Amino acid sequence: MSARYGMVIDVDRCTGCGACMVACSAENNVPALPQATARTGLTPLLVRTVANRAQGAARREAFIPIMCMHCEHETPCVSVCPQQAVEVDKATGIVMQMPQRCLGCRYCMTACPYHARYFNWWDPAWPAGMEKSLNPGVAVRMRGVVEKCNLCHARLHSAKEKAAAAGKREIDPADYIPACVEACPTAAIRFGNLSDRNDPVSQEANSPEAFRLLARLGTEPKVYYKSKEAWVRALAQSSSGRSSEPGSESQPAEVQHG
Amino acid sequence: MASATVADSRVADGKWIARGAERTSLPRFLLWLSPWAVVLAAGVYAAGLCLYYGLNQTNMDNRFAFGLWIFLDLGMIALGAGAFFTGFLVYILKRAELRPILNTAVVVGFICYSGAVAILMIDVGQPLRAWFTFWHPNTHSMLTEVTFCISCYLLVLCLEYIPLLLRNRQLRKLPSFLVFEHQLHKLVPVLAGVGALLSFFHQGSLGGLYGVLRGRPFAFRQGIFIWPSTFFLFILSAIASGPSFLMLVTAAVEKLTGKRLVPVELFRRLGFISGVLLGIYVAAKSIDTLIWINFTSPAVGFAPWQYYMYKPFGTPILFAEIVLFGLLPAFLLTFRPTAERRGWLLSAAALACGGVLLNRFILTVQTLALPTLSFDEFLQYTPSWQEVASFTGVIAYGVIIYSLSYRYLPMFAPAKGEITDVSRH
Amino acid sequence: MFPGIDGFRWTVDHIVFLSLFFAVALTILATVVSAAWRTVRDFRTHRAIEFCWQSGFSELPQSDRRCRHELAGRVISRTCDNAFDCRHCSQYSQFAVLPASGTAHDLGLNYPEDRCYHRGHTWVKAEQDGTVTVGLDPLADHLLGSPDAVRMPDLGSEIELNQTAWRMSKNGNEIRVRAPLEGTVTGVGGPKQGWYLKMHPRLDPHDPATLRHLLRGAELHGWLTHELERLQLQLRPSQAAPSLADGGVLLPDLMDALPDADWDTVLADTFLEL
Repeated sequence: MSARYGMVIDVDRCTGCGACMVACSAENNVPALPQATARTGLTPLLVRTVANRAQGAARREAFIPIMCMHCEHETPCVSVCPQQAVEVDKATGIVMQMPQRCLGCRYCMTACPYHARYFNWWDPAWPAGMEKSLNPGVAVRMRGVVEKCNLCHARLHSAKEKAAAAGKREIDPADYIPACVEACPTAAIRFGNLSDRNDPVSQEANSPEAFRLLARLGTEPKVYYKSKEAWVRALAQSSSGRSSEPGSESQPAEVQHG
Repeated sequence: MASATVADSRVADGKWIARGAERTSLPRFLLWLSPWAVVLAAGVYAAGLCLYYGLNQTNMDNRFAFGLWIFLDLGMIALGAGAFFTGFLVYILKRAELRPILNTAVVVGFICYSGAVAILMIDVGQPLRAWFTFWHPNTHSMLTEVTFCISCYLLVLCLEYIPLLLRNRQLRKLPSFLVFEHQLHKLVPVLAGVGALLSFFHQGSLGGLYGVLRGRPFAFRQGIFIWPSTFFLFILSAIASGPSFLMLVTAAVEKLTGKRLVPVELFRRLGFISGVLLGIYVAAKSIDTLIWINFTSPAVGFAPWQYYMYKPFGTPILFAEIVLFGLLPAFLLTFRPTAERRGWLLSAAALACGGVLLNRFILTVQTLALPTLSFDEFLQYTPSWQEVASFTGVIAYGVIIYSLSYRYLPMFAPAKGEITDVSRH
Repeated sequence: MFPGIDGFRWTVDHIVFLSLFFAVALTILATVVSAAWRTVRDFRTHRAIEFCWQSGFSELPQSDRRCRHELAGRVISRTCDNAFDCRHCSQYSQFAVLPASGTAHDLGLNYPEDRCYHRGHTWVKAEQDGTVTVGLDPLADHLLGSPDAVRMPDLGSEIELNQTAWRMSKNGNEIRVRAPLEGTVTGVGGPKQGWYLKMHPRLDPHDPATLRHLLRGAELHGWLTHELERLQLQLRPSQAAPSLADGGVLLPDLMDALPDADWDTVLADTFLEL
């Protein structure tokens, strides 16, 4: 039976602590490159700071973690890769990136509306000694290839091995938890099988408070967000926060990179 | 009784130059080549740095995944469309009056495509994996189509260039080369047909690259079947600017060499073809823009005015692309009083080429600069010196190749059997 | 690309895409292979040789391609469209019956009647024993004087019509003397009385058709007048205007007498090089 793994992220609970980003980097052997900038760094999971447009006491801020949305319908990056280095895994719904086949043409990066793909502009390097802490289950990528969140597929792999060793056909859901979900102190990021109606994450995703970013593009992302704040929900649309007058020098909602 | 003209017997490498052709002395020629060679060397060095150290040598980043080089690629391939289109007109539609420009078209096409492929090899993160596209093609991807077609077309251009090379005075002396050139030349119409087919598809697919981007509503377009409207618009703009570019190149060569190399009527004819096609393109583009503004973009929640909120990419850029660099040159190239004056003709041709480059720039750079998520910023990007040096290196490469071709090959010689006067070109 | 790859599934897209691609690739390959194969075939059937001459002929300026009948005054103006191959010219006989015209005046060059002349400035004399002798004509002789080096063909070698009979060099210029007839070399001679070849011709020299392509009689005069005009234009000092022929006599050893002239062009036009 095929699963459709997805996430629900409760924006109201996210404190912007960044533990998820650290856990993601550790799990996926993301290099620590001092020369990287906000625009050239590798952050398969990136927490973005957003604010409403009010000033003073009415100003509100929130944190939105962004990772690959694992789009289901006409996945933009899958259809554009010239050598099929990306594909949607039918068994799990995970959009798989194969760095060893990637040519580094970056067309997928152009195609992704969520900017969830990152390029290895440098060869990976770690401070001396830190390479001992690398995760042996995840391959290190060389420069010149694109990478992104793959829902900690290595952990799925371990879960399958464990189930096979125990003679079971299905994995135990408790064995497959992505690093960010595990690390989040407020359980703001939740992970589950959206196909399973009994899965609480699936139920949350179907609730009226859940929304997806840029849903009108029609890519059917599998990462849902939840918030009781109307201004946060409005952020999911493309024109939220922009002035309705054409040609005005309006600024979009302020951004800082987490 | 020394001769005043520098006939080939006076020139140090005279035996490589067609008999009776006048060329400048070898030292002067080398002097002409030397600044270009320096620029080329700088470009090779910059490219070497990028290959050795990686793409961190450029100013591209995760938001600006495509930069100056992709713009250069698209621009060069669009301007090099004159090669296939002239071949199509001469060999398939039998428009013999365009024959004098055919050799230039082949050389310009060769330069543009080989330069584009060279830049692409530096632009990708893993050039040694370039063959993966051929081994695991993704038939849904426009980029696969582009890769296949451009590779084949570059091969076709090389095969069309070889007969010209073999017509060099010394190479002709080898009977096997002479006969092979003749046999290959007889088959050039086949190559022209194949080239036209390939070019139709890859010019279109380069447009399709952007038109299918569902995630970038600025670039996304509806279309016919699997092809977005940008597919057809790119073909139209390429064939509209190709003849103009050839005209500009030939005019530059005539100016530099001080000779009239092609009949004056040919310029007007090229301008007319370019103007008519440009007019059709402007009409199609206007309709497409209206559809995009009113239906395609709003349907996915992106109001079109928000694209033009950011300086310097305001609505003037849309106006410039369609009117200033589209409608205006189309008019000037076809309106008889201006089309008959060389100054106006060449200016209009330059505007036409500029229009195509502007269009490619808008789709390459503006698309990426614009935000998609509501909390994205509008970002700027300035190419690094390595990117600029590689860019100028390719231009220098083109000038050098063309200069060598002009000096040693019969680029503008009349066709066999044509009536000639005593002086040979 | 190839169906053997992991996970490859035949879909309509693949069929369409791959068949288009292979069709194009095969067409391109077929073009190159075909051109190469035809080239090889041309060489095997000796058509390559003819073709080399035809290609060279078509590159000559129009003024060097006048029909012999124009030179003889039988027609006002006609450019040869058959690479000087009067043997296989469909219109030769139609023009040959027309009366020749043109006044003869002394050109100061001795062109005996017992031989025929090739446009590349060689003469052919049919001997009694069935061989022919081939030599340089007086105009060429006056131009070259005594050459610095001569490379005659080996005895027994085959030479082809309009291809190389022998090579000479003078003052750094290479001259290829074109063969007026095809045959086997039976003897070489010179430099006394000029350089010459003795050949056993492939075709019967006493058959009028064999030597039809060579000039004789009235044509000679028209041809030589034209050649001398050309030489005058090409060898004059650059500041001077063309002057009328005044019956002056052609000097011998012109290459030594006028070392600064553009000999490359003069020799090319004289010996039919491109």
